[in-house]
Amino acid sequence: MKILFVILALLFSTMLFSQSPVNTAMFGTMEARQLGPGTMSGRISAIEGVNNDEGKTIYVGTAGGGIWKSTNAGASFKSMFDKYCQSIGAIAINQKNPSIVYVGTGESNMRNSVSIGNGLYKTTDGGDNWKMIGLDSSEHISKIVINPETPDIIYVAVPGTLWGSSKNRGVYKSINGGETWEKILYIDTQTGCGDILMDPTNPNIIFASTWQFIRTPYSFDSGGKGSGLYKSTDAGKTWKEIKNGLPEKPFGRIAMTLSASNPQKMWAIVESNKTGLYISTDGGETWKNQSASLNVTARPFYFSTIVVDPKDEKRVYRPAFSFAYSSDGGHSFTEASYNGAWVHSDMHALWINPTNTNVMYVGTDGGIYTSLDKGITWQFNHGLPVGQFYHVAFDQKEPYNVYGGLQDNGSWKAPSAGPGGIGNANWENVGGGDGFWTVPDIDGKTVYSESQGGEMSRVDLTTLKSETIQPQKTATEEKLRWNWNTPIVTGAKNPKNLYVGAQYLYKSTDQGRNWKRISPDLTTNDKKKQQQEGSGGLSADNTSAENHCTIFTIAESSLDENLVWIGTDDGNLQYTADAGITWTNVSANISKSGIAKQAWVSSIQPSQFDKNTVYATFENHMYGDFQTYLGKSMDMGKTWSRITSKEFTGFANKIKEDPINKNLLFLGAEMGLFATLDGGNNWFRMKNNMPEYAMVRDIQINPTTNDLIVATHGRGIFILDDIRSIRNLTKDIWEQDVYLFPTPDIKLNNGKYGWGGRQTSGGWSAENPASTPSIDYYLKQRLSSGKISVDILDEKGALVQTIPGGVRRGINKINWNLRGKPPRVATGSTKMDYYALVAPMVMPGTYTIKLKISDKEYISKVNCIHDDTNKDLALNDRKVVHENAVRLLNLYNDVNNLIDTVSAYQNSLKADSIGFVKNKNYKLFYDELEKTRAELMPTKQTSVFADEVRIRDKVSKLYSTFCQMETKPNANQLEAIDVLTNEYKTQQNSFITTSKKYKDTTIKNIKKYNKNKL
Amino acid sequence: MKKTNPFSLTLLFLGAFISVSAQTTDEIVSKHIEAVGGKENWTKVKSMRIEMTIKEEGNEVKIISTQIDRKAKRADISFTGMKGYSILTEKEGWEFMPFGGMTKPEPMTAEDIKIGQDDLQLQDEFITYKDLEKKLEYIGKDDVDGTECLKLKMTCKDARETTFYIDPANYFVIKQVEKVKVNGQEEESTSMFSNYKKIEGGIFYPMSILSDGANMEITKVEVNPTIDESIFSLPK
Repeated sequence: MKILFVILALLFSTMLFSQSPVNTAMFGTMEARQLGPGTMSGRISAIEGVNNDEGKTIYVGTAGGGIWKSTNAGASFKSMFDKYCQSIGAIAINQKNPSIVYVGTGESNMRNSVSIGNGLYKTTDGGDNWKMIGLDSSEHISKIVINPETPDIIYVAVPGTLWGSSKNRGVYKSINGGETWEKILYIDTQTGCGDILMDPTNPNIIFASTWQFIRTPYSFDSGGKGSGLYKSTDAGKTWKEIKNGLPEKPFGRIAMTLSASNPQKMWAIVESNKTGLYISTDGGETWKNQSASLNVTARPFYFSTIVVDPKDEKRVYRPAFSFAYSSDGGHSFTEASYNGAWVHSDMHALWINPTNTNVMYVGTDGGIYTSLDKGITWQFNHGLPVGQFYHVAFDQKEPYNVYGGLQDNGSWKAPSAGPGGIGNANWENVGGGDGFWTVPDIDGKTVYSESQGGEMSRVDLTTLKSETIQPQKTATEEKLRWNWNTPIVTGAKNPKNLYVGAQYLYKSTDQGRNWKRISPDLTTNDKKKQQQEGSGGLSADNTSAENHCTIFTIAESSLDENLVWIGTDDGNLQYTADAGITWTNVSANISKSGIAKQAWVSSIQPSQFDKNTVYATFENHMYGDFQTYLGKSMDMGKTWSRITSKEFTGFANKIKEDPINKNLLFLGAEMGLFATLDGGNNWFRMKNNMPEYAMVRDIQINPTTNDLIVATHGRGIFILDDIRSIRNLTKDIWEQDVYLFPTPDIKLNNGKYGWGGRQTSGGWSAENPASTPSIDYYLKQRLSSGKISVDILDEKGALVQTIPGGVRRGINKINWNLRGKPPRVATGSTKMDYYALVAPMVMPGTYTIKLKISDKEYISKVNCIHDDTNKDLALNDRKVVHENAVRLLNLYNDVNNLIDTVSAYQNSLKADSIGFVKNKNYKLFYDELEKTRAELMPTKQTSVFADEVRIRDKVSKLYSTFCQMETKPNANQLEAIDVLTNEYKTQQNSFITTSKKYKDTTIKNIKKYNKNKL
Repeated sequence: MKKTNPFSLTLLFLGAFISVSAQTTDEIVSKHIEAVGGKENWTKVKSMRIEMTIKEEGNEVKIISTQIDRKAKRADISFTGMKGYSILTEKEGWEFMPFGGMTKPEPMTAEDIKIGQDDLQLQDEFITYKDLEKKLEYIGKDDVDGTECLKLKMTCKDARETTFYIDPANYFVIKQVEKVKVNGQEEESTSMFSNYKKIEGGIFYPMSILSDGANMEITKVEVNPTIDESIFSLPK
């Protein structure tokens, strides 16, 4: 029993330790803006649709952006998997009950940068809720097939781990909708299942292709004795290997398909020493080689899709490097036309609408395309923000721009805000290839852009002309080794310093025009890890993706430009304190802390507060180790402590220290963004409108705007605006029941941007940040009963506006529009007076914020100050604007009061229904009143297309103009107030005259009715 | 003697702990109904008139909702000197929203009326769901604004699904996500509820509702008021 008590004690101590009060819920009102974009989108790994739904319901699985669902044939998509692993390998829909969908996590396009999954998920309500149902050690899932007659029978193809050996691979079967699983085809620890097929007319017939493959950080090997093609005729109980007509083994990856209209007809692309297309006409028993184009046979490990039209066995599709289709059963192929649009290369998924096979969707490395003509021409879908960024950077402009490079989609720049928000069209392409580091120069007109394997350029942002600046080897140097994702960075202390790393570190102080090598080889220079020309396995594949023994990260200290840290992909962490004259390797010290020795140094953060302190992340996933490694040294790397948290998931990509609060750190991991407010003792997962398991690859903090900028490898860029609420939340605050934060001074303006119109480019768009600082308060607990509101009072204590408040636990945010209450609008018009929805902006001064929570009040002050950056509006002009806005407000009120009076007279006349019939003066009086009313407000407008403009409209339009005026009013505008005042007075006099004219006929009830208004 | 694996004991202990925590759907429903005033009180509610205000940047929208249980519902909306309304009965539905330029009442589609029938019921959904042949499922726990809530999904016979989030501290619904397929479109709306107050008839009602970004404050609730049913007919 003693052991039990120890375990229980440990359990409870863990629970107590986990009860840190700070967690993401406290900051839930801080919602990150998802910049996207949809401009270039990202890699799509699976597409499936509901068969009998007119092609409207489609699920899209992505390499790093989860699952997206459309219920309108792709017109719009909604993210459905934000709480789970974002790497998707396969999707399958139970077509008998399409609310049931299975998703296999862990993409199986086994490139170097592929992420990992954590099992199989199931929804029974069309994606609203998901449950993990097993295969949690599979890491990668390539295909799921469901028995169409008995849909609780499911088969899953599990290639399994990419980075080593595992028993958790092969073909798995469930006969109870995923409750239990049985492994029904297993070769060995090196071999998984690449593809699986079911004969829809006889679901006991199953085909499976096994695949032996492995990656190391420096090699890829596809193919081996484990690969083969198998057939079962008894629903997976027994398997027979098929060889007849296939090439000589060993095989690599095999992609296959069969005709739904004639299941005897099959096609397979078999990777081997003679990779080719093979066709069977006898249900897979025998095969015949068919000559095929390069596109059909290219890169089988990456292009593993071949699909046949469900109704037409002659129509075969091969989405691969490009899109090819055959009209003769696969004997010849034609490339898709680019008449519609250029289609992004590298394709991995194709879904054909079975009820209208002209319509299909292809998933590429750059998003989804739709074809309405059997794959001949394609249209791009601009609405999927699933770009796979590697890094993000920002410049010093206002608004600042973000820069980043994406997997297979080049390098891009976009504003963080702008008129109308940020749409697809705001993104500017500044570099090609696979984009990685994209770093702006301090000069504001240059960016350094880089593509795979260290290809790097200096780009003129005004012309987008570029110069190649990659350092070249000298006669005495070894061949330069450039990482796939080579670092190019500017100095944190001296931004004119530009660094790039091969195995050596180079520095330039003239924008890359000249380089100085400032280090020896800083890697382990292990020659065994430098055999990339032999990489690929059966199909050679040397694209720089496996380059190794290279520098992977560089960081100049923000306190001393001579202090530079570098990390390599083979475990070295070194620094120089003398700008490269001498180097110290501290890697041996790191491994003593429990961090894997050979792990990639994925990021380094020299502390911004202490030169001796440094943080670094390490990732070892390419050795099959997915632990989150975060280390800290406080003595220049001599000793290290490993920072851990039970919250962490996924290997560590980036550590970022806040520039103001040294205890605030952010960790970007392969499965989530994490933060600590106590220097690393307690961490919490950040949600904040971001996917909870986002692949966070880079983090920046803009010190001017206090924005947290997050680059994800599958969901684009996120900006969490103004993180001061997080930064300033200290223990003495979070222990209070209620805390009203000080509100920073607010500049009086209408925000930085105008309306800007709707986004014309369509697709994805992101909103701008709030135009004024919010009023923030903290609640220790959610307010379950009682009401919260915020009163704004002026210096005389008069109420300016009351704003409803949130009741959530943690930080609540109130946005005051810097105005009071808009005017009352008299009833009776046939047209809405939109211009009257605004109130004059307040004048500079100190305003009181009164937070009212049930019967308690919390008071603070806020200074509203004149915006002296607006040169069009001096303080005196502001006074003139305000005075006249108030003048117009009074005039507007007068007009409405007169309308009310006239209407009241009319109502009282009609109220005396007998008198109205008997006394003709009633009618005459009524009609003359109506003439006045009709001059004051629209009374006859029958359509928004037949505008009726009356005095009230003219006054409110001018009133609205002054309310929103941010320039000195001109004489004409001021004169217009007098003109409108006179127009009002004319009607007022008319009313008085009319009233007098009918004085004798005015009956008692009118006097009674209106005694207060006459 | 059979050996006892300490890990099994731990799991057993944890299992017991979890089973105490895990509640059945019926238990949750029962506690919720009790929290909102009890079935007896609710079933006495035959009609309601609710006055509410939406405040946005100093502007106010006034709404009066008048409803007879499972029979008819009318909402009168006043904004900037104009008045609009919507009427839904068992057989017809009309909308007059002049704010955007509508000049005469327009009929709801047949599908709007059919799907809208569920809105006619005034009772707490958890009291009537079985009678109305709705399916209710406890899905698990989920975070709502920092509160770990009990999540239940209610599915109607028609194309309506509602997910409720119940605060286990008081068993009030604090969030509701409603998804409706109507006229070929899928529409989703989210409402947050707070400040539950005991009102006439001994039932509890949320006085603050945040619905798709609109802050609604309920200013007056009348239970079983006398209602002139002519208001549910289209004005001549």
